[in-house]
Amino acid sequence: MPSNPTPGPVRSSQLIWSRYKYPDTLIRYGAWLVFFVFLVYSIEYLNIPLDRLIGMFGRMGDTIANRYYPPDMAYIMDHDYLQYVVETIQMAYLGALFGLLLAVPLGWFAAHNMTPSKTFVYPIARLITMGCRAVHEMIWAILFVSILGFGMLPGVLALTFFCTGFAGKLLAEEIEAADMGPVEAMRSTGANLFQTMVFGIFPQIRVAVTGIAIYTWDVAFRAATVVGFFGAGGMGWYLKRNVLQIETERVAAILVSILILVMISESISAWARNKAMKMK
Amino acid sequence: MDRQPVPAMAVTADMILQRRRGKRYTQAGVYLILCVLVLWSVQVTIIEDTDWARMGSLAEVWESTNRFIGIDFALFKDLIGPTIETFMIACLGTLLGVLLCIPAAWFGALNITPFKPVTYPLARLMMTISRSIHEIVWALFFVAAVGLGALPGIFAIAVRSVGFIAKMSAEAIEDIDPGPVEAIRSVGGNNLQVLIYAILPQILPQVLGVIIFEWEINIRRSAVLGLVGAGGLGLVFFRQMNTFNYHGVMSVIIAILALIVLGEAFSHRVRRAII
Repeated sequence: MPSNPTPGPVRSSQLIWSRYKYPDTLIRYGAWLVFFVFLVYSIEYLNIPLDRLIGMFGRMGDTIANRYYPPDMAYIMDHDYLQYVVETIQMAYLGALFGLLLAVPLGWFAAHNMTPSKTFVYPIARLITMGCRAVHEMIWAILFVSILGFGMLPGVLALTFFCTGFAGKLLAEEIEAADMGPVEAMRSTGANLFQTMVFGIFPQIRVAVTGIAIYTWDVAFRAATVVGFFGAGGMGWYLKRNVLQIETERVAAILVSILILVMISESISAWARNKAMKMK
Repeated sequence: MDRQPVPAMAVTADMILQRRRGKRYTQAGVYLILCVLVLWSVQVTIIEDTDWARMGSLAEVWESTNRFIGIDFALFKDLIGPTIETFMIACLGTLLGVLLCIPAAWFGALNITPFKPVTYPLARLMMTISRSIHEIVWALFFVAAVGLGALPGIFAIAVRSVGFIAKMSAEAIEDIDPGPVEAIRSVGGNNLQVLIYAILPQILPQVLGVIIFEWEINIRRSAVLGLVGAGGLGLVFFRQMNTFNYHGVMSVIIAILALIVLGEAFSHRVRRAII
């Protein structure tokens, strides 16, 4: 401190407390520098008009208030639309269910501690779950539509692939986290792999599997609302049609209906998850 | 209840058996309902809705699948730019999302929300809106509002990821140890100081993990935003699809996979280092 110079051999610079010592501080400053350089470079690379950014928000507010604001609620009460909503729910249900059914063997094969063969089956199962999850559900939908034509079937298949990857990964993690004691005990009495899986692992992960199933349903439903966007059935097709016709008030109404449906589905799944935890 | 243990035991055992039986009935009922729902859904969505005649025989389906098998290697050099673009959209979107989530998490945590009857439900509603609307729809909205390019993609990613990050952060804030908060308050710290010195250090590792997890998902999301005009790999995918260059489509998918594998490896490493 300049106003109160410290006497003696101790210099004032040494008295300033700092949480990080020399090499740490260098690494920290370096990381921040890299971060800011990356930020500036990517803003430059992506041609983001920073000067127009402020004005944009006003315009966005204008757009919402003038064009989207009174949502055309009569449109989403229409009988045809409600039928599509039901079909969307069915599509999500089937996709989640088939995905879960496929995910059970995949999750087993992709769990490091229980896989039948670590050199051969394990990497393949890992690759399949990875690939299913990495490719976005929209891309799956487009691929299936181009192979099978328009309709609900490509939607169901797209959701199935997506859910397989999603649930398979969670399931594999759950199996890997299970206690290996019961498995050891059963192996020592001569149980084979399938028996250890059914009687050693499954009782441990049963509640978690219920949770995963409910979560998968949640995710599948959200994806199902827009999978129809590229022709795979459900209410996404309504959304696309109205977007292309610039019927913004109807688009707003559809968004409101999606929001309400997701809220309902979320509260149902929260209730079901609580119930499943209690049944443990 | 009674002092005689034997009849009490008998009653309990009977009750347990009965309850177990009841539980089995409810379980059977739930499975029955699920099965009926499956049959109904299969009937409506797969059997009635599908145009089997147009799809043709299995051989024809295989033929149309076969078009996709193969890779257009010449396309890869044109994919480097869009891949970098996709990656940057994901990074900037996550960053913007984190900035937006600060007020959302502050309002949405029950123990520090400034005015409970208004701000708490407001924040929760914002989180639900953000999570329930798909990124494609957000991208469409922002493309309509700010025009084509990377910017609507960044906005879409940011708005879409706010919900999850804010929800997890708010839960982390609700779980903190109140001791440090009281300590800072008792020596006269204001709300901001409490936030910075008492709450932030406690939730930081958890929140960083969530942010990196979301960043990994955002790479996957930003790869499809181009489908509705927001730049990146999705745009190339759309173009290849519309020009019927099916091998080029596979090249784009491989580029997406490579980017996601790299992102996942990185996020796995960093998350392990933090925790």
